[in-house]
Amino acid sequence: MSENEIVARNEQPGELVHQLPVAAPAVDIYENDAEILLHADMPGVLKDDISVNIDNGKMLLSGTRRLQPGGSAGWRELTDVEFRRTFAVPQSIDVNKVHAELKDGVLRLHLPKSESAKPRRIEIKAG
Amino acid sequence: MITRLQDINQILGAMDLFRSQMNSMFNNFDRSYSGGRDWSIAETYPRTNLSDMGDNLELIAEVPGVFKEDLQVKIQGNYLEISGTRKPDNPEGYTVHRTERATASFSRSFTLPYEVDAGKVEATLKDGLLTMSLPKSEAAKPRQISIQ
Repeated sequence: MSENEIVARNEQPGELVHQLPVAAPAVDIYENDAEILLHADMPGVLKDDISVNIDNGKMLLSGTRRLQPGGSAGWRELTDVEFRRTFAVPQSIDVNKVHAELKDGVLRLHLPKSESAKPRRIEIKAG
Repeated sequence: MITRLQDINQILGAMDLFRSQMNSMFNNFDRSYSGGRDWSIAETYPRTNLSDMGDNLELIAEVPGVFKEDLQVKIQGNYLEISGTRKPDNPEGYTVHRTERATASFSRSFTLPYEVDAGKVEATLKDGLLTMSLPKSEAAKPRQISIQ
């Protein structure tokens, strides 16, 4: 075995990782008979950098902020960051109808309940 | 023998990855972004970045969910004050499960490193970020000095 083989070690796929700091976004969660509504603060995140994955009762919400670099720093309190948070989602959510809007750095995620899960008024018939 | 070494390298690489993932998990475990750094008291004022772009200073402030009308910026010389209110946006007819997003008024003032020309300041609000371009006053601008 030559010495060269030990020194020239190729990069392995598992090492090619760029780590962005991860922070949990602050959220408000509301519910009514028709849907669950989630508001999440994601300042500076563009629409295309947000992903919502619902799988097996878990929802992963992730949004990445990339600030335009420039100038010399006076002070830095905000950085590029990945807003990431996982929620447990009840089975009664109709996954196909989930939709969201992003405005002023706030994501509003609507999780409609499926028809069978909506509360129903039962008529009682006089016998 | 060579293939075995590569196997070991691969395992070591995977362990490195695992270690860094574990580290970041302990660092970030469900730490709410609004909750401030580490375990300190929650911040109630917006975070900002200040950059020196040469002829002007650029200040970026994080103000998600704040409307243009609810933000005030005051500038005098090298003193800058940002104040505003975040109005509650809770919808009608919903029961509340969780409220982490603070709805309060905030105010923050800065001493800028240079005097700025208050008349030429431009401010834009986009995607929850307030970006202000603050041109330095003439006396504070960088100047090329020719050597005699």
